[in-house]
Amino acid sequence: MSETSRFRSLEDGHGALKGAQTAWDMLSEEQMQKHITTGCEELDAILGGGIHCKEVTEVGGVPGIGKTQLGIQLAVNVQIPVECGGLGGKAVYIDTEGSFMVERAHQIAEGCISDLLDNTAHRLKDFPACPERLQPNSFLANIFYFRICSYTEQIATINYLEKFLEEQKDVKIIVVDSITFHFRQDFDDLALRTRVLGGMSLKLMRFAKKYSLAVVLLNQVTTKFVEGSFHLTLALGDTWSHACTNRIILYWNGNDRHAYIDKSPSLRSATTPFLITGKGIRNATSHCKRVRMM
Amino acid sequence: MLPGIEPLNPLLHLPAQKLTLGCPVLDRLLRGGLPVGSVTEIAGESAAGKTQLCLQLLLAALLPPSSGGLSAASLFIHSEFPFPLRRLRALSSSSSAADPLDHIFVAAAHSPDDLLSLLATADGLLARPPTHLPVRLIVVDSIAALFRSDFDNNPKDLKKRSFLFFKIAAKLKEQARRFGSVVVVTNQVVDVVGFEEGANGQRVGNYTSLWSSGRRVCPALGLSWANCVNTRLFLSRKDEVADDGGSSRTRRWMQVVFAPHLPEASCELVIVREGVCGIEPQSRRTMAGHATSKRLAMASLDVT
Repeated sequence: MSETSRFRSLEDGHGALKGAQTAWDMLSEEQMQKHITTGCEELDAILGGGIHCKEVTEVGGVPGIGKTQLGIQLAVNVQIPVECGGLGGKAVYIDTEGSFMVERAHQIAEGCISDLLDNTAHRLKDFPACPERLQPNSFLANIFYFRICSYTEQIATINYLEKFLEEQKDVKIIVVDSITFHFRQDFDDLALRTRVLGGMSLKLMRFAKKYSLAVVLLNQVTTKFVEGSFHLTLALGDTWSHACTNRIILYWNGNDRHAYIDKSPSLRSATTPFLITGKGIRNATSHCKRVRMM
Repeated sequence: MLPGIEPLNPLLHLPAQKLTLGCPVLDRLLRGGLPVGSVTEIAGESAAGKTQLCLQLLLAALLPPSSGGLSAASLFIHSEFPFPLRRLRALSSSSSAADPLDHIFVAAAHSPDDLLSLLATADGLLARPPTHLPVRLIVVDSIAALFRSDFDNNPKDLKKRSFLFFKIAAKLKEQARRFGSVVVVTNQVVDVVGFEEGANGQRVGNYTSLWSSGRRVCPALGLSWANCVNTRLFLSRKDEVADDGGSSRTRRWMQVVFAPHLPEASCELVIVREGVCGIEPQSRRTMAGHATSKRLAMASLDVT
């Protein structure tokens, strides 16, 4: 078959398959894909711009490494006004462990706003309404917060989001902190647990695609005893691993926090240091090691 | 029966209240004290001051919010015996509340299942407090003692143990949330042998290693349990012999190992008759403060 006729048959097939896209459509859509900055430029870089909308990203790491910090940072950064290069969106934060602290979210919002005012002042002066929106309390009000105390509440909340997202079109990120905590107890029926987790992950993937938002799932790590020694793995990894498009591991490298792209359909594995400051997640200072390509 | 699901505005609906530790220096370290709606772990070796600090918290809870308290009663679940009644009585004599001991409920737990059934019963206590004060502080002293004997070090038992951690933690977090309580759990420490060995070699938190009494240690119950608490504080001690080779004294510290709202920080402290007190860092001390700290240093009695 010649090149042109091959192309034509694709076109003919296009109308008959309602809802299908050509590869060209998908490519141009991907190039317009929105990202949410993490606050750390080098992490954004190895992520190909930031956390991707329309995709599910898992973030794993040990307690205290900064998963919740990143979750809150993203719930704040999604709100960066369009005029300043952001999405101007809102956030859903599903807190399953009680880690979300208002005072810290307030600090992170303040830090984001202060950096915006410093870095994009030239853009902001053309949009006088901006400064009123740029208040930490407004940022907090744009986070739809859910506190979950059991796995049944978690399922019910994700089901509730079905209708909620239909009405709140501004939501551009869903953070679940953490996705597995309530599933790490003893389940009489492990098959049920797998089905429930699978169902949840499918729903979340659907939300990501349907509403063009980012889904970020924070996950704990556990030690798995394999072949006589302990290995660090993500909790419930076997039931979960297929559900996420991207996976970032946060870890300690000596005294420095690092982020590592563990899974991505389009990005190479790479690692970068990052800092947690009073203002939130930021680039490690320039004298730190450069981004390493694996 | 599930409560109605509804999104909340964090600013309006999340608690920001903290429970004072009874010492302004320690409160400053923790940005106000222990947060409501959250589980704080206090880890340390024997006689590091964990129980002492807990007793102090029981009394602090009775204070009005204007003094950093919760105007609340407490539930103290202990797994170490005997319950330190004499020490509590001694501390309570300086409490401003009338009949403080009437508002402290004490129960003993001998196993993880004991603790779970106590917590289930506690729902009733929390929902319908027997005295006019709500119960808003729950202390478990210690979580480690509950798991000492029943579990061996094989993967199957560790898995079983881990399930119980998450069940207990989920229950405590639910109660912290539903009743607006502060939950404190104390934990023991184990020696870390070698570096990067086994599950205990994994760095958790702000410090590459934690030290107490000259030994490298880490909180017991492993990475699993570490995933179950929101905030981890570490109490350490070190016996120092004075330069003249004569007297020895015990120095103590509190370190923030991890917390969602606190940066890495540490503070030296002393245990005196009045309780656990933080020592102002050298640079902040005024002349008057210097005199006080000298008195504290001289009065640094180990209350055991």
